[in-house]
Formats: sequence, structure tokens, C-alpha cells
Amino acid sequence: MADEQADQWGAWMAAAQAGHGGAYRRLLGDIRIWLLRYFARRLPPGQVEDAVQETLIAIHEKRHTYDPARPFRPWLAAVARYKWIDRLRAMGRERSDELPDTIGVEGHESEVTSAVLLRDLIERLKPAQQQAIRLVKLDGFSVEEASAQTGQSPSLIKVNIHRGLKHLAAIVRDTSDEE
Amino acid sequence: MTSERLLDELASGLTPVRSRSAMRDGMAIAGLAAIELLLFLMLGLHRPDLPHAMGEMSFWWKLISLGLLAGVAVVTAVRSFDPSVSPMKGLRWAAWLGGVVLLTGWGIDTTHHADAPLLARLDWQAGMACLGSMVMLSLPLLIALTVLMRRGAPTDRRESALAAGLGAAAWGAFVFFFRCGHDDPLYIVFWYGSGCVLIAFAGRSLLPLVTRW
Repeated sequence: MADEQADQWGAWMAAAQAGHGGAYRRLLGDIRIWLLRYFARRLPPGQVEDAVQETLIAIHEKRHTYDPARPFRPWLAAVARYKWIDRLRAMGRERSDELPDTIGVEGHESEVTSAVLLRDLIERLKPAQQQAIRLVKLDGFSVEEASAQTGQSPSLIKVNIHRGLKHLAAIVRDTSDEE
Repeated sequence: MTSERLLDELASGLTPVRSRSAMRDGMAIAGLAAIELLLFLMLGLHRPDLPHAMGEMSFWWKLISLGLLAGVAVVTAVRSFDPSVSPMKGLRWAAWLGGVVLLTGWGIDTTHHADAPLLARLDWQAGMACLGSMVMLSLPLLIALTVLMRRGAPTDRRESALAAGLGAAAWGAFVFFFRCGHDDPLYIVFWYGSGCVLIAFAGRSLLPLVTRW
């Protein structure tokens, strides 16, 4: 079933390369759903929609790099993974005390914890980095609150977030990712 | 903007595109490299004692080593401009090849009868000139690879840039080798190696800045 779908996507992308708007619209609609699932497992919920849109634009701009003679799914997964790493790096650059209002709101917990893969990957970091990223980036605490909970100074929290996310991006980059 | 609207906009403004082919890109690079080498030779920039130099073992060592290194690195770079192809395997091959080249050079050096002290064998003045020439001769391929990298979608940009830099550097050194009158393996390893490392790391540092997507 998944193979058939991937073949269909490949055929639609080949048609899109020839300028067929209808096939392209159907392809983007399907890909959007796939990307929503992909990023929901890997990013905090506040970032999923942005990541999906960014990836769709990247797919559009780089559609000529898809070779119709090859399977579509690995190409799509590679683009999505590249954008995921980009997001992780951007998270590391963001000021840690500026979080979207929604992230700490009650009822978002299930969405937050849905970034399952991200949580699994965090396990590979040093404990201090794990704590800092979990508290500030996933659970929505401020840097000061995270500092009080962990005993790390606020600046150390920021450093650990920055280094942890950089390391995370490197781990993801070096790990083959077949969705 | 909602995703649905974004999808409509992307689909409505769709224009046909020509699918990228690594083979086509590779042929373009090979063509450019051949033109550069032919121009260099046609302008008479090669060393005058070329037929005599061909009798030296170090001549063939330089020719084969640089040619292979340039080939492996350029192929690695061009292939990696496809998002689903990683340059890591090719870079490992290039590193392995570099090791073999050094070992072979060391082997040839043991048969090379040099009476001069080590520092004199490096001939700093000529070496710096060699370095400058290698950099200049690597530029055409480096620029072409940058253009292809911008057009492609490399997902390991730093590694792709390193491969592109190394490929351009090795090719620059390959072309320059027809000019260079030095056959001392120590000189070649030091100056050609320095040139390749310098250009490769310049590529690794600069190319990712202009090929972000």
C-alpha cells in the first residue's frame, strides 16, 4: 500500500515537473499530511505547521532535483530531514526565554509529548542538556524556572540548550532516517 | 498563510522544470575541466622537459594520484547535490585514497636521492608560487561546482562543500602539475597537500554560506 502510494507520488511529481498543476496539487495535499505526521513526532507542536510549510516550499523550489527514475519516498524523506535539522538548529539559536504563549497552556501536554522521536533522541544527550531542553523547549518552562528546578544557572541553561540542540542536529544528520 | 492556500498558490503558479541529472552535471564539469587543461597546454604553459619527466616514477605518481583524487571528490560532490545522496562514503574513499597517496609518496621518496636538507628540499619561494598557481587553477571548477550546488539540493552542505573544494583543489593541482618542474616527493606532498587542504577547507567554509536552501 505504502509502495503503491509512493509510486503514485513519484508519478505525480514527474507530471508536476512537466507542468501538470492538477497532479502537483494532489501530490502536495498528500505530502502535507505525511509531513504533518513526520514533524509531529519530531518537533514541539508550535513548530509543526511552520516546518510543514517551509518543507513544502523547499519541495516546490527543488522539485527539479527529483529524478523520476528513482523512488520518491527517499527523496521526500531527505528533504524533510534536512528541514527538521534546520529547525533544530534554529531552536538552538532562538532566545530561550521567548516562547510562544500556547506552549505551556493546559491541554497541550499530549501534543507536546507527541514529539516522541525528539524525546527519544534527547536521551542521547548529556543529562544537563537533556534537562534544559526538556524543561524549556518541550515543557514550556522559562529559563529562570528551569534554573530553579535544576540548580543550573540561567546562563548555563541557555548554553546547555544551545549545545544540546546542536549535538541533536548532528546526531540526526548522521543517522539514516527512513520514515 | 494556511497550508491549503499555500498549496493552491504553489500549484497554480507551476512551471515545467527540467529534471536534474547528476550525469549531465558531471559531464559539464568534465567538459570544463578538459577545456581548462587543453587551454593550459595549448598556451604552452607546461614544463619544457615534459617528455623527459615522464621517465620519472614521481611523474606518474603525481598524475595518477591527483587525477584519481579529483575524480573521486568531484563525483562525490556532484552526486551529493541530490538530497537523497550522502557525500560521506565518497569522502571516506577520498581520505583513504589520500592515505595511499602519502604512503606511495613516502615509498618513492626512499628511492629519491636527495642530498639537500629537508627545509631546502621544500624550496619555500617556489612552493608559495606553486600554491598561488594551484589556487588560481582550481577556481574554474570551484565556481562551476558552486553553481551546481546552488541549483541542487545538498542535505549535508558542509560535507558536499568539502568534496567540491577537494575536487576543485585536486584538479587545480593536476593542471598545475604539467607546469611544475619539481619532482621531489617531499616537495610535492608538502606543497600540493597544503594547496589541496587550503582550497578544500576554504570551500567547506564558504560554499555552505551561498548554497543554503
